[in-house]
Parts: sequence; structure tokens; C-alpha cells
Amino acid sequence: MSIITISRGSYSMGVIVAEQVAQRLGYSIISRDLLLDASDRFHIPEIRLIRAIHDAPSILERFSHSKQAYLAYIRAALAERASGGNVVYHGLAGHILLKNIEGVLKVRITADMNYRAAREAEREGISVDEARSILEKDDQQRRRWTKSLHGVDPWDSSLYDLAIRIDHFKVDDAVEFICRAVESERFRETKKSLQMINDLALACKVKAEIVDEFPTLGVTCQYGNIIVYTKDKSHGSKLHKHLEAVRGKFSGIYNLEIHSAAVFPPEAV
Amino acid sequence: MEPLTTDMILVMCMIGLAVFLFVVEWVRVDVVAILMMVILPLLHLVTPKEAFVGMSSNAVISIIAVIIIGAGLDRTGIINRLVKPVMAIAGKSASRVIIAISLTVAIISSFMQNIGAAALFLPAIQRISKMQKIPLSRLLMPVGFSAILGGTITLVGCSPLILLNDLLAPFHLEPFGLFDVTPIGLALVASGIACFILFGRLMLPQGDHGEGSHEDQGSDPDLAFSDLGEMYELVTPEDFTHYRDPITVLDLRKRYLCNVLAMTEPPDFKTLSPAPETVLHSGIELVVHGKKEDLSRMAAAEGMQIKDTLETYKFDLDSSKSGIVEAVVAPRSNLIGKTLPEVNFQDRFRVSPMSIYRQEETYRSRMRDIRFQAGDVIRLFGSWKRLKTLQQEGGLLFSIPTEMEYMRPEKAIWAGIWLVTALVMIMGFKIQLSVSLMTGALGMIITRVLSVDEAYQSVDWRTIFLLAGLIPLGIATEKTGAAAWIAHSVLNLIGTVSPIVLLSVIGVLSTLFTLVISNVGATVLLVPLVVNMALAAHADPRMAALVVGLATSNSFVLPTHQVNALYMGPGRYRTFDFLKAGSLVSIVFLVVMIAMIALIYGV
Repeated sequence: MSIITISRGSYSMGVIVAEQVAQRLGYSIISRDLLLDASDRFHIPEIRLIRAIHDAPSILERFSHSKQAYLAYIRAALAERASGGNVVYHGLAGHILLKNIEGVLKVRITADMNYRAAREAEREGISVDEARSILEKDDQQRRRWTKSLHGVDPWDSSLYDLAIRIDHFKVDDAVEFICRAVESERFRETKKSLQMINDLALACKVKAEIVDEFPTLGVTCQYGNIIVYTKDKSHGSKLHKHLEAVRGKFSGIYNLEIHSAAVFPPEAV
Repeated sequence: MEPLTTDMILVMCMIGLAVFLFVVEWVRVDVVAILMMVILPLLHLVTPKEAFVGMSSNAVISIIAVIIIGAGLDRTGIINRLVKPVMAIAGKSASRVIIAISLTVAIISSFMQNIGAAALFLPAIQRISKMQKIPLSRLLMPVGFSAILGGTITLVGCSPLILLNDLLAPFHLEPFGLFDVTPIGLALVASGIACFILFGRLMLPQGDHGEGSHEDQGSDPDLAFSDLGEMYELVTPEDFTHYRDPITVLDLRKRYLCNVLAMTEPPDFKTLSPAPETVLHSGIELVVHGKKEDLSRMAAAEGMQIKDTLETYKFDLDSSKSGIVEAVVAPRSNLIGKTLPEVNFQDRFRVSPMSIYRQEETYRSRMRDIRFQAGDVIRLFGSWKRLKTLQQEGGLLFSIPTEMEYMRPEKAIWAGIWLVTALVMIMGFKIQLSVSLMTGALGMIITRVLSVDEAYQSVDWRTIFLLAGLIPLGIATEKTGAAAWIAHSVLNLIGTVSPIVLLSVIGVLSTLFTLVISNVGATVLLVPLVVNMALAAHADPRMAALVVGLATSNSFVLPTHQVNALYMGPGRYRTFDFLKAGSLVSIVFLVVMIAMIALIYGV
């Protein structure tokens, strides 16, 4: 089992690379349909989820925590799909949504702005300058989103295991690099990596269930032992009751605790 | 009434700022006090000399001395010496035990910091609870409240009363004597204890969550802590280590929340409380504590076999050699703010932490990430010898069955002598409180009841700076006329009232203030105010100040007082329990206080 995430700037051939990698390895592919999945399951209009995963949060959204909720849903859907392994996910923030999971190959497909602008101009029938402007705006938007929600710069190459300049290499080359990289020992499925993705899926599911009413909580799961972190010193019996109901809903939860006024660990969802 | 001036407005802003910071707790209370010490002279509301006069005030020196004397008493083991005779008098009746212990703590607390007395007695109370088979939750709250009430018995019993004379000095009012408050204090203690004896069933929690873990003690340690599982002996299969990554003690804890209390390292070396990184081998026995369902899951997943009873470890884990204790993190423990790995806990003490209890939650997962707070209860397993070493390290309060308390009888005599000396100096020779108490403290150091470094370490600088820092705020309030202005404004609002009503209103105000800001903060802010109010209303200003000094100890409704915060964990109390019991005690407190003041001072 392996999980590959492919992050891409707009119009950088990332989709084609992802599809060819999935075809060659016999993996399933997750992208836009993930949002549909989350939309169906949590009854949120798809457009809101798209905005959640694309746009930096507005001031209002920062207060209403709605973006946190939508991200929780998307992450829950992704973690569950990925827990079966052998998937290629291409879309926004895969490297962040599945962070801290061992064995996930994180790839970034990028290209020179001129290259991308030329392709965009050709595709949309607009001038190169116009295309460049659109791409720059799009890139900045995504960068702001990632920074504001996760505190990391998506252009930081240390976030990825492999970064490929698609304007320097052919698509076939890029596919070859990725397929060979995924064979290395570091990205092979282990009992531990399987456990981690299952734990992430469970943590995301719990978070998705409680995020509407309790948007500022963090959830971790380690071997089926769930901890819900709160910033406040006391959280009341409402949270307890909610969590007991959630516990009954999902199998595989062996213990559930609430740690109040605690620092959220980095892997908390 | 004087017109409102800029200085008055500034002082009121400073008061508002201090109160706000106390409530939101963005910074610690002593830091707020230091902030006042610095801002007030910068705003020219006090002179630089006045800003730091608190550091040399009689109140602060007296408190330092009281803390050192208390630490000296602790060194002598005198507290534990008291337990036996007290228990002999009390007998087996739960009510008599509560009365006896509460009275003892109250009297000790009249000469020590309340929290010091409460912390000193906690292990003894845990032991009494086990011996007499009285649930800890029935004992702790009455004793805790008595420790707070005991602070009203003498003028050195609590910080507000120690402060009182210093705050009265600017008004040239006659200071109070050491035992002037004693009749009132004793009445308050008696009424507090009476509340629990008469209405204990209504006030104290009933049922699982209030009973602590000592309900069915008997002599079987397994029963006492059965809420989080039991001990089982297991065997690992012969192929346990084949074709797999090594499994450590920590791995079993992380995955199954099961604690390995003992295990064999090949060929046959038995280890109690193995280190977390110890690797499990094939074909070995191990004793694990955990919930049955977690243990079964572990055994199934790892191929272990669960035995019906302890066999290999039957004698090694006998209750005469090892067991489980509940240790409370003391108010000034070195553990506070740190995690177990950060203090190298298991390497240093070789005992097994099993769970942490904090504010109604039990933590079994990721205990290594938890930063300790005062009042946390850590459940520990270990040999009594190792637990004793841990106990001597300090910072954790617990009792162990074997009576190995360290007694220093020769020190006890000297400690007693110096305490009596200080009292004679105060009462007999009418020497200033601070001088007399510091003489007692010095005497203890010279006669090596405790070393000077131990004396320094025992001083709680948080309390000192809190006091010293808020005194200039009181000075500024009085000096600028802000206190008088507020007092007149309040009186204009409430109109003409009888002295008793005025004192009652002051009592209620003090009670409310002390719940949100510290008792010292409430005292420093309210005394200048109420003295002015009393003067304007032609009531006795000393009585008004006395009401503040006493009523700021009326902190029972919420577990904000250090004593209540300390006892909350081991007693398994919820905030609601304090609300219930504290409301009744608070009302009784106010009634008894006003009644006694009226009776004794003829208000």
C-alpha cells in the first residue's frame, strides 16, 4: 500500500501526471470527487468546500470557524479513502491534509510561470499577460490559504519528498520518477503506517462529528485511543455527552479522553 | 465630597486594570502586582519609595517569618505526631474524626499559611481515610474549609489579617492584637465544622464520583484502585520476538493503555516498574495493570497468554512490599509546568505512573505529554521503598502504609520553644509582630530545625510579591483621595444605613471580590475604601476593616482558593460540589462573623 499526494500549481500538467501514475501503478485516484464525497456525507454544498480548500479565510470566517469545519469534513473523507492505500491524491493541500503520516510520498509538480502562462493563454484563448495575472492571483490565494491555516508556505520545498519541474522534464519522465520513488523502502506500507492512516481517519471522523458545535477543539488518535484537546479549562458536560454519542457511532475507539487547557500536539486535527 | 481629579481617575484605571488582569489570568497574579509597583511611580501616583515600601512592610516580613516557621514545623514531623493522639481521642466515629482533624488543622492553620497546613495534612488524611475506612471525599472538604477558616483565628493566620494593621496605619487607627480576632475565628471554625456534621449528607457528593478511590479499602490494595483495571500476569509466547519490530513497555502503554508493573528479563531477572524503553522478550512473565477489555485485546493481538492469578510474581507484588498510591502534586512542586520525561521521572524513581486525574478527568493516554499542575493526582505503582524515596524528594503528597515517616524529636522541641518564644514576645512584651515572628524564624534556623537555605526555599515569593506589589496600590488609592471619593459615592448610592447593615454589605462585597481577585488584592483595595465609608457613615472604621480582613477568607463557593484547588483532585470533587457546600458555608460565615463582631465589639 502506498499513498502519493501530488501538489500542483495551476496548469502545470499535474493532473495528467497524477492520472498516468495511477494508471501505471494500478492505484485509484482521488481528486475533485473527494469534495463530492464530503459534500454528500456532511450535507454541505460543494461550492463551499471548494472555497474552503482554495480561498484564504476571510475575517468573518476566522471568527465563525466555518472553514475549520469544512476542512474537517474534507480531511475525514480523504483519510478514509486513503486508509485503504494504493491511492494517488491530486488536489490542494494533500501534503498537509495527510501530514505526519509515514510513508506518504509527497510530490510537487511545478513549472516556470512563462510556461504555465503560455499554456493557460492557449487553453483559454486569452493573452499571455492576462493568463499570467490569473495564475499569479491564484497562486497567491493558495499560498495565503496554506499559510493562514497551517502556518507553512506551500512553496517551501522541504514539505515535499520530490519536486519536479514539468517544463524541464516530459510527463513520462515525471511519471517514471514518481513510480520509482514510491518503490523505495521509505514509502512502503508498514504496520505502523497503516495504523497511522487508520488513526488519522478515525480522528478526522470524530473531529467532523463535533466541529460544528465545538470548532476550536483538536483531536488525536493513537491506536484507537482518542484524545480531544480543548483550549478552555473546563468544557462542560455537553461535550462529554456529544463524545459519548460519537463513540457509539464508530468502531475502533478503545478509549476517549478530554485534555483541557492543553497545548495541541502538532498532529492534532 | 472632593471633586474627581485626574489622579483619582488614573488610580481607578489602575484598579480596573489590576482586577481585569486577575480575572483573565493573562499573567500570573504576582506579575500583576509587580506591574503595579512599576506603573504607579511612573504615573506619579506614588513616590518611588512608596512603590517599594511593601517589600519592607511588617506584613511581608511577618509572612516570610510565618512561612519559615511553618517549614520548620514540617521538618520536625510534628504534624504526624499529632495524628495518633488526635485519632485516639476521635475513635472510630466518622463525625468525630471529621471534627478532630478539622479542629487540628484549623489550629495549625492559625499559625501557618493555610495552604501549608492543608498540604502538610493531606498525606495524613489519606492514611486516616484508609485506616478508618472513611471515604476521602467526606474528609477532605471539611478539613480544607477548616484550614481556610483556621486562618481567621489569629492575626497571622492568613495574609489579609497580617496586612490589616499595615493598611490601618495611614488612618492612625489602633492596630489589632494577635488574638483580637480569636473569638470570632473560633466561632467561624466551629460553625463551619457544624455545617458539615449536620448537613454533610446534603453538602458532600454522594455516589461514585465523590467517593474517591478509597471506598472499599479493606486491606486489599487491588480493590482500592479497581476503577481503572486490575493486575494480571501474562506470558509472552516463545516466538514473540520473531519477525517483528521490538515491542517495548511504552508500546504496550501507547497501544493498549496497559501498564507493565513487573516483568522478567532473561534468563530470570525480575524487574519491578521496568523502564518505558525496556524490550519484551519471548517466553517471559509480566504483570500488567489495565482494564480487562484492553488486556484481552492486547493478549489477542500480541499472542500473550493471560494467567488466572499471579503466580511468578505472587510474593514480589505482595502488599507488604509494593502497591499503588495516589500522589497529589503540591502547590510549589518542581513538577509543575513539566512533563514526566522532562524531570526524568521513571529513571530517577523507578515507579510506574498509571494515570493522572485532573478536574474530573482521568488521563491514561499520552501521559508523557501532560504538563503538571498543582492539585493533579498521579496514580503510581512501585515498591514501598522506591515510593518512600519519591516522597522524600518532595513535591508530591501521599501516604504509604508502612509508617516510615521521618521524625526528628529533638527538632520538635526546639521548634516548639521558638514558636512559644515568638508568642511570648508578641503577647507578653507587646513587641511588633514582624520582629517577634522573625525572631522565632531565626531561632529555628540557628538551632538547625531547618537550614537557612531550606528556609529560603520554603518562602513562597509569589505571595510576597503579590502583597508587596499591591500595597502601593492601596497607598495610591488613599493618597489621591480616590478611596474617599468612591466611598462617598457608594454611600450616596445606598443612603443612610445602620452600622450592622453597612458591615454586612462590606462582608458580602469582600466575599465577592475575593472570589474573582485574590484575597490579598481584595483586602488592599477594599480596606481604604471601607474605612472611608465607615468614617463618613459614623461607623467604626476598625470594624469595617476587620470585616474585610475576615471576609476575604470567605472563599468556598468556587475552588479558586489554593486549598480547595489542592483538595479538589484527591477528593474527586466537581466545581458543583464546591458551589453546593460553599454556598451554605459562605452564608453561615457571614452571619456568624457579623454576629460575633456585634457581640464582642458592640457595633
